[in-house]
Amino acid sequence: MSAHERDTHFSRRAFLVSTTGLWISAGLPRPLAAAAAQRDEAPSVLSPDEWSAVEAISERILPADETPGAKAAGCVNFIDKALASEDAAALPLYREALQALEHACDARWKKKFVDLDAARQDAMLEDLESGSLPDWGAPGASQQAFFGSVRMHTLLGFLADPRHGGNRDFIGWRTMGFPGPVHHLGGAQPDQMSGKRRFAPIWERTPPRPSQS
Amino acid sequence: MSEMKDVCVIGTGAAGGVWIDACTRAGLDVVALERGPHLGPSDFRQHDELSNVHRGTGFAPTWQDTTRDHAAQVAQLGRSTMLARCVGGGTAHWGSWCWRFREDDFEVLSSEGPVEGANLADWPISYAELAPFYDAAEARLGLAGQASANPSGPPRHGGYPNPPHPPRRATQLIAMGAKKLGLHPFPTPMAINSRPYQGRAACINGGMCANFGCPVHAKASTLAIHVPAALATGHLDLRPDTRVIELVTGKDGRVLAARTLDASGRENEVRARTFVLACGGIGSAQLLLSSRSARHPDGLANGSGLVGRNLMFHNFTFVFFELPEPSLAALGPAGMVAIDDLHPSDASRGFIRGAVLGESAESGPIWSAYKAPGYLGENTRAWGKPLKDYLRRYPYLDGMIAVGEDLPQLDNRIDLDPTHVDAEGFPLARITYESHPNDRALHDFFDARLHEIALAAGATKSWSFDTSHTKGGTGHIMGTCRMGNDPNESVVDRWCRSHEVPNLYIPDGGCFPTSGGYNPTLTIFANAARTAAHFLESIARKETA
Repeated sequence: MSAHERDTHFSRRAFLVSTTGLWISAGLPRPLAAAAAQRDEAPSVLSPDEWSAVEAISERILPADETPGAKAAGCVNFIDKALASEDAAALPLYREALQALEHACDARWKKKFVDLDAARQDAMLEDLESGSLPDWGAPGASQQAFFGSVRMHTLLGFLADPRHGGNRDFIGWRTMGFPGPVHHLGGAQPDQMSGKRRFAPIWERTPPRPSQS
Repeated sequence: MSEMKDVCVIGTGAAGGVWIDACTRAGLDVVALERGPHLGPSDFRQHDELSNVHRGTGFAPTWQDTTRDHAAQVAQLGRSTMLARCVGGGTAHWGSWCWRFREDDFEVLSSEGPVEGANLADWPISYAELAPFYDAAEARLGLAGQASANPSGPPRHGGYPNPPHPPRRATQLIAMGAKKLGLHPFPTPMAINSRPYQGRAACINGGMCANFGCPVHAKASTLAIHVPAALATGHLDLRPDTRVIELVTGKDGRVLAARTLDASGRENEVRARTFVLACGGIGSAQLLLSSRSARHPDGLANGSGLVGRNLMFHNFTFVFFELPEPSLAALGPAGMVAIDDLHPSDASRGFIRGAVLGESAESGPIWSAYKAPGYLGENTRAWGKPLKDYLRRYPYLDGMIAVGEDLPQLDNRIDLDPTHVDAEGFPLARITYESHPNDRALHDFFDARLHEIALAAGATKSWSFDTSHTKGGTGHIMGTCRMGNDPNESVVDRWCRSHEVPNLYIPDGGCFPTSGGYNPTLTIFANAARTAAHFLESIARKETA
């Protein structure tokens, strides 16, 4: 399949697998503004409404179930800081697509996205993912590019090191059972590698950061 | 007017680092120009998966390139390579699997015969000629492994300097599964200290090897070994954050100077008697093609028209799987068991050449999350509850990889993008690459074998990871400055000296005529030592003459 065919005729799988195509990020990263903002869980580039909508979308992508989800992990804070720095090129996509999504919610349900119940939010996101929301009001921001970006950003906010503003209290790493950066924890011994002795994860070694929300 | 150095080395990765080390040890005054910064363990401790795996900002924050499948397409802007721009180059963040090419890897054309659409060639050197330099490279890098355990390996004398690393659980399971299939798994030879060695620490089993700098220098690199040794001689003028924009030739056809830009954008000229271009298969070709003059209208050292052509990346096949017990994949160095029984070429399989198989490098959470759609399948949405449940399977996941030989093709190439420029206004490297039918057949064969091994290891589920949409998703960049005896068919001679420019050497991975189905870096190290030794001998001969 040529690149052109892939771009115009992608399968759902190709769309989701691709980390380079529809996932929109900045070509040239800016200096780490996030480093300064990581502890600040107030919006830096998203408006309060945009923040709430992105937070609600992220929570559907990684919902709370028997363990906390994207909202508790602070994924929206990660996204806000990324859009303020390394991924600033994706901010217009977010802006336009969020506005169009709100129009679509209003047209279908007469409600804002955050006020829909989980099933209706999921229905909107399924349409967004397949690019089938009618009367999409953001020609420059494709539904699929936006969904792919929020999905990837949510995963990154859940799983990147907490210093980037998400993964609060190691919620993402706890979910996965990833023990943390092992070299920061003194390394591992051969009996831990073979499974004879347990390797204690980072959240058992450092007190979790008090929640700031 | 700058002072005249004996040798100017451009790039400080495997090839450049070896040349810097060899020349300074021989008492020559060397200036080394490195485009990136001089990072070290304290910087590496600040790196994480977001910076190094996802964003690529740890080692190449401003890298951009353009890619396309073939010449009829317009190349798209992106970041497609895993280059490291820093002192140490790719050796700062390599996975450190260290293979010797086999005897037949040096004579692919004569052993296979011509293949339609491919530009096969023999190397101008043999395994026997390179073997002593493999010995020396293994000793210098402190390889850990079990030397005689590879049933497909070339003949060798002696063992590795260090014993194998202790296995993680998944490594043991893969080895057991492979044995059930009649295969002969063995510890992957790695340039990571399994015990303290020559002043460097032993590995602390922290994971995060490939794509990361080692926080304790247990992983061998020119950053940890060759550059410090050269600095200690007092003969090295190391200039990080210095970009070479052009090689300037004089009336006699020799390189006169390297034009450079420093970090503040100031232009300078560096003069030397001999120039060593070691920027890797992309960077070296890019610089030669950028060094155009009336005498060299198609770029320097490019009378053959082959600079940038025959680009090879290797053919990567990934299979991931779910084990019935924890893989402990986050602990210990990169994949620790290899299988090479299936490597020797056998045309009856429907393709020529082969691949080495191994447990894939350890997998962090973000990289693991990329794989969710493959695990969940096309009919399950890869978000919501299914995605979260997939993440919870992380402790049980592991993977294997096949590093397959891709055939050289003339139209697979690096050239200068006609449209896109970098921040300083210079054309980006344009990557044109499409797999040969042989590459695809090889991929499919090894994909099936990896699934079989996973199943035999007890995997309850295995799935392929499609990399067909990526280009050069690897640091294995080869072929763009082919080495050979015929100036019409190659860019450099058997000593990696330009056929056209007598004081210019290009000893990096670009010189490989064919790619072998093995990670290339040990061969780059050995070949660089071979060519540097020849250069030093030729100088000594001149002095005594």
